[in-house]
Amino acid sequence: MNTNFSRFIGVLTLVALAQSARAELKWEQTSVDLRPAFNDKQAIAHFKYENVGNTPVHFKSVHASCGCTTAQTQNEQVAPGQKGEITATFNIGGRTGTQVKTVTVQTDDPDSARSTTVLTLKAVITPLLEIQPALVYWQNGEEPKPKIITAKANKDAAIKKLNVASSTPDFTAKVEPGSAPNEFRISVQPHDTTKAVYATLTIKPDSPANPGNTFAVAARVMPPAPTSGTAITPSTKASVSTARHDLATPAPPPAESPSQ
Amino acid sequence: MKVSAVRQALLLIALAFVPAIGEAIYFRDRVSWQSPDRSSEMVNLDQAQSWGANAIWVDARPDNEFEQGHVPGAIPLNEDRWNELLPTLLAQWSLEKKIVVYCSSQSCNASREVARRLRDEAGLKEVFVLRGGWEEWLKNRR
Repeated sequence: MNTNFSRFIGVLTLVALAQSARAELKWEQTSVDLRPAFNDKQAIAHFKYENVGNTPVHFKSVHASCGCTTAQTQNEQVAPGQKGEITATFNIGGRTGTQVKTVTVQTDDPDSARSTTVLTLKAVITPLLEIQPALVYWQNGEEPKPKIITAKANKDAAIKKLNVASSTPDFTAKVEPGSAPNEFRISVQPHDTTKAVYATLTIKPDSPANPGNTFAVAARVMPPAPTSGTAITPSTKASVSTARHDLATPAPPPAESPSQ
Repeated sequence: MKVSAVRQALLLIALAFVPAIGEAIYFRDRVSWQSPDRSSEMVNLDQAQSWGANAIWVDARPDNEFEQGHVPGAIPLNEDRWNELLPTLLAQWSLEKKIVVYCSSQSCNASREVARRLRDEAGLKEVFVLRGGWEEWLKNRR
């Protein structure tokens, strides 16, 4: 009887000790919403934590969901009562719209439910210019009517004017005000559609807040489509191959490389 | 008694329709009822390879991964440098060509995002995402 009672007390003590010696990282928030400005290169989220347990917590791994995001811890080990944060830096690059990136944090917490935490960074990116479409083209022989590219400027950027330059003289581009405020219509027209040509149109917003920011769209006249049932004579074969050669060696993008 | 039960059942069905219709209207443009991996937009390696010279391969991975290895002839187009890289692809595209976009593996999202932008922003048709990505290419090569 006494032996059984001692065992029971021993087990109870062990359970109590195991429960009292716990490591627990408490997160202030596991999801952060960001709205970076149009000229920001990065969106940075701070995920704050505190060790509310009474034993140290070690970070085993901190892993971001994509190469565009980096995550850094302040310390490898978090002492009981210690506070800190994980900083997630999302490099915006040429991304637009809603971007959701995650950082997976693994600790040595023996409780598997608490050892892995997924931190979420949500960034809504409104670019300086929203351009639609990024490509205008004409079929070979098509009437060389102008085609329209719409550029919507970010209202915070105060863009009064757009300058558009073609990399080749084969196209003319004119900028007109659009139907809505902060909107521009870029009218692009080829001079000739009998020859396959390609041009990069460099769009430069005229805004003191964004010097050097440029965007590129493309304009093309397509090569003639080979018609089925038509015998390829040496002369037609030559014209097709010439057209393809033109396209295989397009004009290089402008030296002033576009950036956002 | 029976008539009353039927009436109650019909009333409950009618009441259930009210929030359902409201939700259908409210979420019509907000929730995609289709899987993000629409089968028509995905392509297997065998099929993509069968397109031969009619396919343009687009590598959606970051620059450093592209430099370490890529599908022969692939054009780099990642979202880190979207505005810089896009013109190179548009210069090589033509109507009869299909575009095959890949990233590192089946689980990566970059190829889907690049494919979506090529369709939406550049208006290109016949843009496909390679099932299994670069990993699948490597596996097949061995």
